[in-house]
Amino acid sequence: MLKVTDLNVYYGAIHALKGISFDLQEGEIVTLIGANGAGKSTLLNTVSGILHAKEGTVEYLGENISNEAPQVIVQKGIVQVPEGRKIFAKMTVMENLEMGAYTVTDRQQIQDKREAMFDRFPVLRTRSKQLGGTLSGGEQQMLAMARALMANPKLLLLDEPSMGLAPVLVEQIFDIIQDINQQGTSVLLVEQNAHMALSIADRAYVLETGHIVLEGDASVVMNDPMVISAYLGG
Amino acid sequence: MNKDIIRTSSRKGLLFGIVLIFLVLINFHIMASTMISKLLGTNVLRGAFPEVRFMIIFLVIYGLWAGWSAVSRENKTTTKLLEGLISGITTGIVIVLFGLILFFLLETQTDVRRYLTALSFVSINIFLLGLRGAGVPVLFGLFTLTGLLGGALAIGLRSKTVSNFKHSIKAFVSNVRQSITSALPEFVTKYGKYMIYLVLLALLLLLPSRWGSYNNFVFGMVGLYVILGIGLNIMLGLSGQFMIGIAALFAMGAYSVALLNSPFPHGLMWGFWPSLVVGVVMAVIGGLLLGLPIMRLRGDYLGIVTLGFGEIIRILLNSDLLTDLTGGPRGIQNIQQPTFLGRPFNDVSYAYLIIVAMAVSIFLYYRLEKSRTGRAWLSIKEDTLVARATGVDVQKYKLLALCIGAAFAGLAGGIFAARNQFTGPNDHTLMVSINVLSVVIVGGLNSIPGIILGSFALRGLPELLRELETYRLLVFGALLVFMMLVRPDGLWPSSRPNLEEKGSSDLKEDIDPDLEGRGND
Ligand SMILES: Nc1ncnc2c1ncn2[C@@H]1O[C@H](COP(=O)(O)OP(=O)(O)O)[C@@H](O)[C@H]1O
Ligand SMILES: [Mg+2]
Repeated sequence: MLKVTDLNVYYGAIHALKGISFDLQEGEIVTLIGANGAGKSTLLNTVSGILHAKEGTVEYLGENISNEAPQVIVQKGIVQVPEGRKIFAKMTVMENLEMGAYTVTDRQQIQDKREAMFDRFPVLRTRSKQLGGTLSGGEQQMLAMARALMANPKLLLLDEPSMGLAPVLVEQIFDIIQDINQQGTSVLLVEQNAHMALSIADRAYVLETGHIVLEGDASVVMNDPMVISAYLGG
Repeated sequence: MNKDIIRTSSRKGLLFGIVLIFLVLINFHIMASTMISKLLGTNVLRGAFPEVRFMIIFLVIYGLWAGWSAVSRENKTTTKLLEGLISGITTGIVIVLFGLILFFLLETQTDVRRYLTALSFVSINIFLLGLRGAGVPVLFGLFTLTGLLGGALAIGLRSKTVSNFKHSIKAFVSNVRQSITSALPEFVTKYGKYMIYLVLLALLLLLPSRWGSYNNFVFGMVGLYVILGIGLNIMLGLSGQFMIGIAALFAMGAYSVALLNSPFPHGLMWGFWPSLVVGVVMAVIGGLLLGLPIMRLRGDYLGIVTLGFGEIIRILLNSDLLTDLTGGPRGIQNIQQPTFLGRPFNDVSYAYLIIVAMAVSIFLYYRLEKSRTGRAWLSIKEDTLVARATGVDVQKYKLLALCIGAAFAGLAGGIFAARNQFTGPNDHTLMVSINVLSVVIVGGLNSIPGIILGSFALRGLPELLRELETYRLLVFGALLVFMMLVRPDGLWPSSRPNLEEKGSSDLKEDIDPDLEGRGND
């Protein structure tokens, strides 16, 4: 479904991604784990079209999307949930959801979708008229995910959804991710919380300072001595 | 970490340096020094230049401010001092470069007043503290020192006392407001709003024909500033772009109506209405041309570039080179007056025209704000990256905001020129941009009642209180400080943020305590 080949991304003189290649099959949860500054967000932003690669390609459903604008990529079905619970703090929950469906123009479809989100995240229904910024951390993460789902993604990109959340909430969020995946959305999950990510992923890649240093089935990666010592606190 | 401190504080210093250059170019340093001397009780003869010592007071205050504003909230005492110092030094470096240029002009007796009207030798001399070349290093020393002191001041004053003071003022204001509302009978609080609207509407319809041409003139000025304010607010408030050189777009409208509708220099007589349409279109094109190259700039820089754009337009209009094309420094006289149903316009018709233009602008503004486009602007303003990620074409909407805002400015400019039957370079100075900016900020960003109130307070009142003209800037200054303390969102802030009060206050209760600091960034 997604095939990234030899991606090189720069911030001015900083070489952030140094020849990254990976792929994701339809229906999979693939996780990319790596420490702070490894280049995880850079990678997601490149796939989303927010950044553009100097070299290398991003192919999606057999089509080269490396040079597409972000709004085009959203329309094609790749939607990102950015890092750090980035909701629109000064818009209501309802308006946040409507923003998610920005590329959808059919009013009826937006309404149906919104109802579906309220069913999936009941807490959002009770807060629908509240400003996004007044929600608690966990609720904001749910809103961010719901907003992304409003655009009907075929592939959901999640940037550290567990960041800064208490363990109970992290588990809840990961349950939701699994659920979303089972209903047919492929997921590319970027995490520092390797343990949780590997427990729900099919396959995993380990990213270090712009390189992929390890890849394989999640169960295999989970037992790799290097991963255990560096990311699983073993 | 340390690099960050150097970068952010030197950026602050750079900004302060550049702004000071602008201030000197519009002769603000002379005005400020005059005001300080008046404040200190010294008599300055009308038209005379103030003494150098008042200039020094102005520069010291400015330097302290540069140091103060570079200080961030959470750092250690030594870091704060360092931040102030770096900011001061950077301001100093910028001013040294500028001072050297000024000194060069002074030494070679090069008169540049044709391009920069305010830059006379006296003005340069005062800026260099009367020391000629020696003024340059003295200025550098002054900014380094005051930057450091400003940092120190920020440590002392930004402490609890100040925030307590702020809180008690706020509490006082809300108490007063509450006691007023509770004292009124119920039907007044309930229907009072609509009653006020009705009365206002009746006044708007009745007054222009009764209260005389001078009041119509003042009222028209206020109305045109409301339209300009709405235009600027679309750029600044709705889409969050720090575009402030609105005088240039105002000029596009004014000059279109003037050039297409006067005997000199082109002898075109298109009539008011078609040329007003052209004026609006020209302003939109101006917004587009300005927008395209600067789309990638952010915040402070965008502001400076757009201000510069405004000045370039004015300088071009003011130069002799373009006299054949735009009328040159003397401007364009005898602009043909519009007719409506065969009757030529007088002051009353202009008042009604401005009321209609204002009503249309306000209506369009509300429609825009509530539309899909308005939502896209809000998302860009809140978080450009997330807006992109949700599929908003950021570039397109930013440009759109500039163009629509420009259309309002063009409309105001066109009416302005026709009403005065004249327009020239001096109608389009930096002061216009700054005035519109103050109207919007003082009134309240994203609030139409605020913009109306701001226009009246800043444009109407001073006109009615002509006596106080010289104190106007001083009053502005005091008012601005007061506002920042008491009403940080303006005289009549937009109602959106109030939604927050209805929300729950259990904001971060479920954030992992270990990571609390990180989550807030
Ligand atoms: N806007 C930026 N400008 C310059 N360098 C950046 C920018 N964003 C990230 N970087 C650098 O790129 C590298 C990868 O960053 P990022 O993708 O944010 O990592 P991660 O998401 O894995 O923490 C880091 O070295 C970071 O300093
Ligand atoms: Mg990241």
